[in-house]
Amino acid sequence: MAAPRAPLTLPLTALFAAGFVAPLCVLLMLSLAAGDDGSAGLTLAQYARFLGDRFNLSVLGSTLLLGAEATLVCLLFGFPVAWVCARAGARWQSVLIFLVVLPILTSVVVRTFSWIVILGRQGLLNQILLGLGLIDAPLKLLYSEAGVVLVLAQVQMPLMVLPILTVLSRLDPNLADASRALGAGEWRTLWRVTLPLVMPGIIAGCILSFAASITAFVTQTLIGGARLLYLPLFIYQQAVGANDWPFAAAVSVVFMIAVLLVVVLLNGFGRRYEKHV
Amino acid sequence: MNERFLMTRRELLMAGGALALGALLPAGRARAEAGKLVAATYPGTWSEAHRNVLKPAFQKRVDAGVTQSIILGTDQVARLAAAKGQTPPFDVAIFDPPQVLDAVRQGLIAEYPAAQSPHYAELLPVYQDRWGPKVSMQVIGLAYNPERIRTPPKRWDDLWDPQYRGRVGMTALNSQLGLAFLAELNRLRGGSSSDFEPAFRALRELLPALGAVAANLGAFATLWQQEQIDIAPYNFNFVQTLKAKGVPVEFVVPETGAVAWHTSLHVVAGTTVPELAVQYIDTHLDPLVQAAMMQPPYDVIPTNGKVALAGAVTQSVAKTQDALAALRGVDWAVLTEQRSALIERFNREIRV
Amino acid sequence: MSEQTLVMPAPPLPRRAAPSFEAWSLRCVFGVLAALALVFLVAPTLVILLTSFTATESLRFPPEGFSLRWYAALLDADQMQAAAWNSLVVALWTTVLCVLLGTPAAIAIARSKSPWVRACDVLFMSPLLLPALAFGFAALIFIHRLGLRPDLPLLVLGHVIVCTPFVLRTTIAALTQLEPSLLDASRSLGASEWTTFRRVTLPLIARGIGAGAFLAFMASFDNVPVSLFLADERTEVLPIHLWQQIENNLDVRTAAASGLIVLLTLTLMVIAERTAGLTRQMR
Repeated sequence: MAAPRAPLTLPLTALFAAGFVAPLCVLLMLSLAAGDDGSAGLTLAQYARFLGDRFNLSVLGSTLLLGAEATLVCLLFGFPVAWVCARAGARWQSVLIFLVVLPILTSVVVRTFSWIVILGRQGLLNQILLGLGLIDAPLKLLYSEAGVVLVLAQVQMPLMVLPILTVLSRLDPNLADASRALGAGEWRTLWRVTLPLVMPGIIAGCILSFAASITAFVTQTLIGGARLLYLPLFIYQQAVGANDWPFAAAVSVVFMIAVLLVVVLLNGFGRRYEKHV
Repeated sequence: MNERFLMTRRELLMAGGALALGALLPAGRARAEAGKLVAATYPGTWSEAHRNVLKPAFQKRVDAGVTQSIILGTDQVARLAAAKGQTPPFDVAIFDPPQVLDAVRQGLIAEYPAAQSPHYAELLPVYQDRWGPKVSMQVIGLAYNPERIRTPPKRWDDLWDPQYRGRVGMTALNSQLGLAFLAELNRLRGGSSSDFEPAFRALRELLPALGAVAANLGAFATLWQQEQIDIAPYNFNFVQTLKAKGVPVEFVVPETGAVAWHTSLHVVAGTTVPELAVQYIDTHLDPLVQAAMMQPPYDVIPTNGKVALAGAVTQSVAKTQDALAALRGVDWAVLTEQRSALIERFNREIRV
Repeated sequence: MSEQTLVMPAPPLPRRAAPSFEAWSLRCVFGVLAALALVFLVAPTLVILLTSFTATESLRFPPEGFSLRWYAALLDADQMQAAAWNSLVVALWTTVLCVLLGTPAAIAIARSKSPWVRACDVLFMSPLLLPALAFGFAALIFIHRLGLRPDLPLLVLGHVIVCTPFVLRTTIAALTQLEPSLLDASRSLGASEWTTFRRVTLPLIARGIGAGAFLAFMASFDNVPVSLFLADERTEVLPIHLWQQIENNLDVRTAAASGLIVLLTLTLMVIAERTAGLTRQMR
């Protein structure tokens, strides 16, 4: 190393210290403050208020569940896409990645808007399903959890596909060949050889799409409506609608901790898996 | 070699671009702050009438920029309260009675300088108010999709009719529509201002019939248009505006009568452009403007005595201003006190 | 990492004479799932494009008639134009700052193993994981505590925080693929650190930075969670304005604006693909 590199991080570190760490500390302080300005010492009252209430807890629970469901759908469809992508020739691969990336680069508001047209009771999807005779009466997709999961999965799919693709395309094809040569079938090879090797990519994809799904405010409100309440809207309502900043701050902190826990858990799972392999 | 030259040229371009940008930003900010009015408006009919009628009329009178932002009344109060002591986020507020009560209590709006507003004196006396003139009246009743519901509904009770199962719409209580409907329902089911159980019991019974609960009033428009819902409590004006766009929807006054309240405009306390704010509000009182807003697709009920009532209002709501004044009101003072408790209860009980 | 991670050549059909039923079933299942996923990914973009050409005042699919009237209506939508302008200014500033601050940090992260730099790496990536809405709210509280009110420069700083990870990721990826021997050669020829960076490193990682800058620009232009708290009625940005219109109004102009955004995004993506090899940088 010719020169120490660490100072190169200083400008960005300074920005993050002032613009990221400091606000989060202020958020934490506000959530713990007793009295309006925190002069009266610290209290856990706001947390007790949130965690001591079954309704609030159910909002937290349904938010995490929503993230998990959207992530699973992402994985179910995203893995095959990455798999096909990794096997395609260079030109086709570019085209496929282009198509995969397209939704995440199209404005999220625009995309969600389009889903309203697709998911409505007389929307495109119901028209198709009715036309094919697969259903007798229109499905309720808009303003339903299924609808939100579907849209989130579409919106976050690139976050799942790209990390998996990265790992898949670095994979040594000889391993799979060896497995097949030893008489293992395709499915078995996929399950016992490829999948474990791709696990780091899958874990990374799951973390990214989970984190993005649970905080997707626009999709959750426009597709979910009022009866499906998730934490982002809850925080927004408390902060902007009810002007209850200390409570909203506490909910934000709980939200962040919950997300971090899930990320750490997934990460730990990935580590154990790597060791195992 | 070639590539390296390209890169240095690109670097130059980038540096030049950054400089050009440096020049852009201050210009953008200056544009945002010089002689510019920010006015709150309501969704649906209101935002369209304000954009298409009020804004051009105002800009004919005054050379100033106008931004019209769609914000529900309760959110306006919250935003103004949060910014108290600083420049408010907008200069003109649009409120229904409960927000006027809230805003006056918290000192968020200034008294209306009637002397500076030439058209104020032309208002009918019921529409004059020291905190800001009433610019219209909102009337709620039943809306339905005539293509899918052949016999028009007659009463609120028709919402519970099993044949509409899965097609009934509701809006959350953050709008006056939701709150007023709740109060009227409570009255009809024998509740009182201290006991809302009858209304909530009825709503719980309605749960399986609900096709959607809109997160806010504006989202209702989308629901009608996507035919997600076929029958719901709704504002008279919103129905007219949707109808004019080719959406199949009709308005009826229930047998038990319509429910109505006034909507008013206010100068926000602490605004940096109070004169512009008054000019803007006064433009809304202008008989020409009110007459234009009474035309379809807005059908906004006028409050200026010089504007004769005409059009769709007279066909489906009331023939005269006296008849309008006789419509049932809402006891907002009582409701406002309990609003947050009611909203919380609604959010908890009226879930999936 | 010196081995070139070239596209893995598609494994030819199994060497055995006839593909086994199993191999066939795997391909079939994955092929169908992937095809469904691709339709699912692309359909909404197409639907909104087609809908925006409707001749009627309502948003139904399939659209009735064909007209450009809603695109023409955009010319009068001065408020939407102002919001778009604000978004553009914010996104450009955000991109410039992300690149200026992110590139040096990426070099440090890619080259140094010190614990300090590792910690920085985690810190800089955390905005991708933490709920952005919570950060937006925290920033609003912080700004209030400082006695300021949200304005465009502060909004830019908020966007820089959440958009920097994109520049970092692509730039670090480009750096790790750099041949260290090239840098050694340059140094051994007597070039200074700075000259080596400017003449060797920068040209080689420029495409990575470019792809990251493009992603940061799009992320900022499209940001809602931070703008929700840091932009107000006086500094309205496009996504928030469109969100309000969609939530509150039945306005087909919104569809036209959406169609325009889709077309511009596609154009930018093609440009990014041609100049920065976007899809290669994202692998």
